[in-house]
Amino acid sequence: MTGSVHHTIYRSEDVPLGCIPPPEELEDTLHGLMKLNGLIIRSLEEIAGRGANAVTYRAGRKFGHEVAKYFRKIENIEEALVELSHILRGQYTFELWKPADKPSFIIEENGATFIYLVFHDCIVRQTLRRNGQEQGGPLCQTLYGYVVGAIEEITGRRAKLEIVHTGPNGCLKKLILK
Amino acid sequence: MIEITVDKDACNACGLCVKDCPMHVYELKDGVAVPVRVENCMGCLSCHEICPTQALEHRGIYPSKRHYIDIRVCEMLNRVI
Ligand code: SF4
Ligand code: SF4
Repeated sequence: MTGSVHHTIYRSEDVPLGCIPPPEELEDTLHGLMKLNGLIIRSLEEIAGRGANAVTYRAGRKFGHEVAKYFRKIENIEEALVELSHILRGQYTFELWKPADKPSFIIEENGATFIYLVFHDCIVRQTLRRNGQEQGGPLCQTLYGYVVGAIEEITGRRAKLEIVHTGPNGCLKKLILK
Repeated sequence: MIEITVDKDACNACGLCVKDCPMHVYELKDGVAVPVRVENCMGCLSCHEICPTQALEHRGIYPSKRHYIDIRVCEMLNRVI
């Protein structure tokens, strides 16, 4: 600590003019949050069992509605997903994906209509890996809820997100349109 | 474009990558894993995590952020490697 720090006068109404902590300081905060979230989820699972998924899904869905309600409404689902990927940048990075033999992103199979999404950067995956927890559990449900809530908000359409695969560098999800 | 290379000398044909890859990118041929459907790879790197001999190498994938690793550890590794 430098001497000048001790002589700085702070008043309660003062708002800090700058907020540029070094990455090392942010890292401590981020890792602390990751630890806390990991432990909350573990405890929730211990107490509520499978009910934990319902809680985390609902929390994510509220978050999705909350974030997306400030954005313009779009009917086209592909366009809405691209918009959503911009909204979520920084927490989740995802893109529309399709197997090479499919002509378009919107796939119709066995009476269901869906779109594959590959999630690259994901704050949930990072939290789980920091704590040595498995992917695909209740914390991942927050992400499902988040995407479903945001899609409902932007397009007005009901949707469901299903996990297809989880990996260390990316996860494949299926957005089922209703 | 994604490229996958298999180190033929390292691969022991355990078939774990074949079973684990959700996009069925690999097949075992003549005692070695061969990426036969590279165009279907979505870069999850599950195959890297499961391969016991570290025989796989990907190029052209999106490397996702790994903020969960300590900056100090990364710096140390960078100095060592
Ligand atoms: S990165 Fe994922 S999709 Fe690509 S070959 Fe490996 S397991 Fe399959
Ligand atoms: S997991 Fe590794 S060692 Fe096993 S078949 Fe695949 S490339 Fe070869």
